[in-house]
Amino acid sequence: MSSVSFTCYVVAVVLFCLGFFGCLVRRNALVVLMCLELMLNAVNLIFVEVAMRTGSPGGIIMVVFVITVAAAEAGVGLALALNLYRLKGTLDLESFRQLKG
Amino acid sequence: MVLAAAAVVFGKHPIYSAFSLVLCFFGLAVIYTLLNNLFLGMVQILIYTGAIVVLFVFAVMLVDSPKGSGFQSKRPFLSIASLIVIWTLALQMISVVGAAPWVAQTREDATNMRFVAKLLFTEYLWPFEVLSLFLLVMILSIYVLARPDQSKRSAP
Repeated sequence: MSSVSFTCYVVAVVLFCLGFFGCLVRRNALVVLMCLELMLNAVNLIFVEVAMRTGSPGGIIMVVFVITVAAAEAGVGLALALNLYRLKGTLDLESFRQLKG
Repeated sequence: MVLAAAAVVFGKHPIYSAFSLVLCFFGLAVIYTLLNNLFLGMVQILIYTGAIVVLFVFAVMLVDSPKGSGFQSKRPFLSIASLIVIWTLALQMISVVGAAPWVAQTREDATNMRFVAKLLFTEYLWPFEVLSLFLLVMILSIYVLARPDQSKRSAP
């Protein structure tokens, strides 16, 4: 186990856990979307590391696809957030209670 | 870079989170370059910090963010529960990483971007086309979501 790949794994685990924690805890919808990006980047880092270590190019191609889908997801998420802001006047996730029984 | 990621999560204002996200993505680009993949480092800087974070900053400027800490203050047990969830998740991931076979093949295919690009347009052509169609649908849906309300405008 080389030290670079070990560092990559540690950084990816820490990034994923931080992003997940932010998704659960933060109230602002924009910050929750940013934490989603953090989690996607952690997975990307694992993909790149394994692809470079095993020499298989499928990981690199997967990362390119993931980046594209993440860009689309950020666009749709921000459009939804802006619409919610126009509807409710806030981005506080606690205030979106229409679906609560 | 990890500190920047922590600043994304714990930043007081969303604009601090957005700029910390820029720092974090630059760090990731440096790691990709260290892993001998300059192309993905460039893609990371161009797309993530050039497009996505600019989009985030734009959205942060459009809305006014609420005052206060920004955490789920009404339900404090949620923070504790999510900490427990994070802890078990981290343990699981560490155990998976520890159990992964550390094969070290030294094929140089993945570093050769010409080979990767050729593979993208031959073997992975079908997912590539599906992804382009997906992007088209995304653009149309964002337009439908973000356009001004037509019925409200036509009504006097």
